[in-house]
Amino acid sequence: MKQFKLPDLGEGLQEAEIVEWHVQAGDEVEVDQLLVSVETAKAIVDVPSPYAGVISRCFGKPGDLLHVGEPLVGFEGEAEDSGTVVGNLGAASGSSDLAADDFHIGAAPSTRDFQPARAAPAVRALARKLDVELGRVSGSGPNGLITEQDVRSASEGPAGFEGTALRSVRRTMAKNMARAHAEVVPVMIVEDADLHGWPTSARDPIIRLARAIAKACLAEPALNVAFDGRRLSIQTHDKVDLGVAVDTPDGLFVPVLRDVASREAEDLREGLARLRRDVANRSIPPSELMGATITLSNFGTLFGRYASPVVVPPQVAIVGAGVIRDAVVAWQGEPAVHPILPISLTFDHRAVTGGEAARFLKALVEDLERSS
Amino acid sequence: MPLTVQIPYTRLIDDHGQPQADLPAWIDDPQLLRAFYQDMVLVRAFDQKCVALQRTGQIGTYASTLGQEAIGAAVGHAMTAEDVLIPYYRDTSTQLQRGVAMHEILLYWGGDERGSAWENPAVAEDFPICVPIATQACHACGVASAFRIRQQARVAVTTCGDGATSKGDFLESLNLAGVWQLPVVFVVNNNQWAISVPRSLQTAAPTLAHKALAAGIPGEQVDGNDVLAVYDRVSQAIQRARAGKGATLVECVTYRLGDHTTADDASRYRSADELNAAWKHEPIGRLQRFLHDHGLWDEQQEQQLQRDITERINDAVERFRNMPPSDTAAAFDYLYAELPAQYQAQREQLQARLDARGGTGHE
Repeated sequence: MKQFKLPDLGEGLQEAEIVEWHVQAGDEVEVDQLLVSVETAKAIVDVPSPYAGVISRCFGKPGDLLHVGEPLVGFEGEAEDSGTVVGNLGAASGSSDLAADDFHIGAAPSTRDFQPARAAPAVRALARKLDVELGRVSGSGPNGLITEQDVRSASEGPAGFEGTALRSVRRTMAKNMARAHAEVVPVMIVEDADLHGWPTSARDPIIRLARAIAKACLAEPALNVAFDGRRLSIQTHDKVDLGVAVDTPDGLFVPVLRDVASREAEDLREGLARLRRDVANRSIPPSELMGATITLSNFGTLFGRYASPVVVPPQVAIVGAGVIRDAVVAWQGEPAVHPILPISLTFDHRAVTGGEAARFLKALVEDLERSS
Repeated sequence: MPLTVQIPYTRLIDDHGQPQADLPAWIDDPQLLRAFYQDMVLVRAFDQKCVALQRTGQIGTYASTLGQEAIGAAVGHAMTAEDVLIPYYRDTSTQLQRGVAMHEILLYWGGDERGSAWENPAVAEDFPICVPIATQACHACGVASAFRIRQQARVAVTTCGDGATSKGDFLESLNLAGVWQLPVVFVVNNNQWAISVPRSLQTAAPTLAHKALAAGIPGEQVDGNDVLAVYDRVSQAIQRARAGKGATLVECVTYRLGDHTTADDASRYRSADELNAAWKHEPIGRLQRFLHDHGLWDEQQEQQLQRDITERINDAVERFRNMPPSDTAAAFDYLYAELPAQYQAQREQLQARLDARGGTGHE
């Protein structure tokens, strides 16, 4: 099938709306016979046939918008020149290399892909705020202008999607994670802590982890800071207030264990137990969920070795602790089976250097590996 | 103070081909009379083909001369070979008379520089089509000045529309042509519409020809749909200029029966009644009637003419389609006699890129 593609009917007009077809499939037409009336931004234009032949297909119905370069009419017969007929001026006789040269006057390739979305600056700003990609929004305003309502509708998801709306804790989690993901530049570093020096009974490492993080913050304070990405400023913390991720059926809670650097192990254990109880009862006050300077995700109570936990601004680091397992390690030149605690550290590279993170992790692991 | 100056108005035959005055002696030239008719019929058919080519994407914007064919036919025949035409974009007919080939006119509207680099040596000194409004009037004064300086008995003939007469370039050119007594003829195609601006909103002057008076040159009106009148008055103006008596403005009163260009839709600003009324005065029918009445044209000749025209136009379109594309770098090659250094550098840069990609740059 040869195709006659919509040419530019004005001066730089990129589209035309079909007003009325004057032929239909099966009709035999003469050169310059009227095929179709279309309306451009400037005029209603009668488009004649570029050659004689039998119509095999009319593309589009009255009211349809066609872009320049899109098929308008198909003619019966073989595709002689890769389907591009209009304005193909052909080749000079005897010049073979020109035969492959598609030279078009007037008919540009389809510009649909290259047209920027039409939206007012305020609507563009709203789209950025709501994280809506304008290219995927079809405008309901004049000439396809994208309106504020179009953007809001798009941000609420496609019509007809009937899921269950997230509520409370899960909703907060979704928003916080998305914001963190959009903002933070996360880098992960992992290491194993060899716990063979620990008393055999000690397998709940949370208090040791809290202490080790406090020690690491002392050794490398750069990971115990608040970072403001908008102002590009850092605020250091005097104390280590450790957020402890707690999994519940309702979602993620991160109560804050205050001042872990200066509290005794027993005090911390009691404090943590109280926080967990309050979370389980959903009686924890919001103030206890705010103000962490660094976070621990002890997913080792569940399953898994390493992870890439998400740093939530303004914090710049989060430590993940996996399941303690027995593993064969090289110990004083011999294979030995030791309990191993896998540690993952994610840090925000906007605020923390790789060197700072490595020194922090080294201090953390060394403290963990002490026998007490 | 009332505008009491009367501007002469010439009409030789009316809408029905009836003589309106004593016809001038040159009328006894059946070959010329038939040529007027044949030229007008040809350009009307060619215009129609050009619009179809634009509608199918084979050429760009086109300005039809529908309804104004008499002007080009008359001006083209009134000029002698050594005169120079400085045309605007509604001069297909004039250019054809001068010796520009139809396929070259298609090349021009197809955006090809070769459409202004004509093969026929007879038109070597004619100017290419001027699209900026009224600037060609200045060019014409330059050409006419050159003729004076060289002491050549040649005439510069320039054309423009009614809208152009409101431009400074036009008025300055009239002034210069007057004070330097230049051998130039200004032919105004007053087709009543400057795109969507009607003549009534264009100027408060009673006629466009009045504009010549302030410049101290003669201005007159002719029935622009009467090819005989246009030929007669433009010929007089050219002879006057050639004789060293200076410039003339000839306002041809006609009507634009089509859109401004293919990028326009006149039905949006012009009533169908006005258009239908204007068709009654169109130029081809009246001349055909005149030829019939004088036994100079018959049905057989008409049919032969239609066949010839169809063939000529189809040949021209075929030739246009078969032209190999020009090099992309040719965009540099037609404006300057010698390319300035900075453009030479750009041309080489472009050519190097095209060579690196292979091919002519057309994809």
